[in-house]
Amino acid sequence: MRIERRSFGKKALRGLALTAGTLAISGMVNAVHAQNAAPVRIGVPTSMQLQVGRDTITAIKMAVDEVNAKGGVLGRKFEYVAADETENPETGISAIKKLTADEKVDLLIGGYTSGVTLAQLPHISAAKTLYLGVGAASPAITAKVKQDYDNYKYIFRVGPINAAHQARALVDYISNFVIGELGYKQIAIVGENAKWVQDLVPVLSKGAKDVGAEIKLSELFDTQTSDFSPLMAKVKSSGAQYMIVVLSHASSDVFAKQWYDAQVPVPYGGIDVKSMDGDFFSRIGGKSISEVAGNFAVRAPLTPKTIPFFDEFKKRSANYPVYTAFFAYDSVHIYADAVKRAGSFDTDKVIKELEKTKHVGVVGEITFDETHDVQTGKGKANLIFAQWQDKGERAVIYPKELRTGNFMLPPWVKR
Amino acid sequence: MIYGAVTSAIYALLAVGFTLIFGVARVLNLAHGSFYALGAYGTYLLASVAGWPLWIAATVAVASVAVFGVAVERIIIRPLRHSQLGVLMITLAVSLIVEQALFLSFGSEYRNVPAFVETKVNLAGVDVGGQRLLAFALAFLAIGLLYAFIQRTRLGSAILAIAQDAEAAKYMGIPSDRIFSLVMAISAALAALAGVLAGPFLSVQPSMHLLPIVKAFAIVVVGGLGSIAGSIAAAFMLGYAETVVAYLVNGSWTEIVSVLATLLMLIVRPAGIFGKRAAF
Repeated sequence: MRIERRSFGKKALRGLALTAGTLAISGMVNAVHAQNAAPVRIGVPTSMQLQVGRDTITAIKMAVDEVNAKGGVLGRKFEYVAADETENPETGISAIKKLTADEKVDLLIGGYTSGVTLAQLPHISAAKTLYLGVGAASPAITAKVKQDYDNYKYIFRVGPINAAHQARALVDYISNFVIGELGYKQIAIVGENAKWVQDLVPVLSKGAKDVGAEIKLSELFDTQTSDFSPLMAKVKSSGAQYMIVVLSHASSDVFAKQWYDAQVPVPYGGIDVKSMDGDFFSRIGGKSISEVAGNFAVRAPLTPKTIPFFDEFKKRSANYPVYTAFFAYDSVHIYADAVKRAGSFDTDKVIKELEKTKHVGVVGEITFDETHDVQTGKGKANLIFAQWQDKGERAVIYPKELRTGNFMLPPWVKR
Repeated sequence: MIYGAVTSAIYALLAVGFTLIFGVARVLNLAHGSFYALGAYGTYLLASVAGWPLWIAATVAVASVAVFGVAVERIIIRPLRHSQLGVLMITLAVSLIVEQALFLSFGSEYRNVPAFVETKVNLAGVDVGGQRLLAFALAFLAIGLLYAFIQRTRLGSAILAIAQDAEAAKYMGIPSDRIFSLVMAISAALAALAGVLAGPFLSVQPSMHLLPIVKAFAIVVVGGLGSIAGSIAAAFMLGYAETVVAYLVNGSWTEIVSVLATLLMLIVRPAGIFGKRAAF
């Protein structure tokens, strides 16, 4: 409703400006003024039905409120309009078209599914609209920036760190924690058959072998899979001591439940996007007990902004934020700062400033590499591994310097 | 190979209801998967949200889906039954409406349905969740009861009579419309039962009706449209084929098995294994 009214107001302004323009040259000046005072419109294409999408929108609203409380940027306030891109590329393309052509947004912040974002890219570049990605992890997205800078310079990934970086973080976890601390060398790798996993698993397998792991089984399953029992049986009979998972679009819920129900004697952990949800443990009846999942941030003093952000978010939405929220919140501020530095809303000038970004965000310092992809490393965006423990408490297990609890085995596994 | 049996039993429950309504009323019910979804969501709603005891929630869910099935048959399908295409379209519409309704009321996320039994059972060296065994046993029981009902009772004979020749049955004084409603209720209840039984290990999700309809279709084509024995046999073939492929080949190949089976069967023997004639 509120958005409707705003767009009506904008139309009225435009109408006014137009009439004025036809009347006299002084009217033209008025028109320019009216345009300048019009708010900056942020388009938010995301999967609105999922937690990642709802949290993206909440976080953007938070950041927009903060920017507006300080009087906006260069005299313009911020506002946002969302469109549902679902997890389907065709719907994703319509969302971009709606936002760029109908809503005439000034920039886009959003994304979740890599397949959808990849399908949207040509449409984003055709609309010459800035796009700050906050959800999709495929390296192929920002690879386009390098291949064809003039057409794809509009694309930035504020987060999450790309699939290759995630693979390396996972290898660190395997080498330093699974092998180094637990002493498990026999490993099974299980992932869903999706674009970003196909990108990730080869890097992961090679890395794990290099650090001394023995890969007993490596398998991708269809994202529609509903019965994981044959897979679980395979993992069990492979002799693996630890199962590394790479899941986001497939049903992590069903996976965890069936793992628990069959009491698979192999602890598991890895990248499990649904397991980043604050309510994951409770919504599957506690069956993810002892699972370790990589998160992009936890409520810990990673930067001065982390804890205030988590608490303020919780106040607004009743749950702790998932990863898209961190990056969506940062994206708004990163854009606002770039505009201030550029002293203009001109897209090309803003891009030049965005490339120089050094922004202390929720997860760490955000900087971009030459492909406009967020960088990882100490003090920057990273994967933090946390384990589901009794009563749905999450304990940080790795990296060691952030550890808040001790590793536990599944209740039915004896060492 | 227990896993294959559980998958197969769920498939059989789905396919038997699907083939029954086709055999008797010549209705290709594309909303069949919705009954499955509604059964599972009903249990979720009553047990997880309203806090009812699970067994009661499940029974009420199955019964209400049966009533819903009858309503769909009475109000929507009956006026269109002279046209197979019309029935096809309208049941497709029903399934989409149900999906959207679930989507709007529950969101697109997976929801947890609590399990009836939490124990793990070790059968011949294979660990199986108790819920799965229960699903298998109940599915078997339900199909057995249905079979006895059709073979042994007067109503069952009436159903058989209509399936063989609807017109002749009418002349014999069998109230075919009432029988159709009954069959629809049974068919919907079986699908809902499948949903209730599978819910705890599969969770519920608004588009969950799609998979069962694809599987039921594949099974029924392979087994012979309208043949109950054929459906059961085909359900087991398909259930095992998928499990074996997942175990021996790769998990990403399982979903293609049923589609491939359907295609092959349509080319080689359009009537299916037990079918007397081609359905299309």
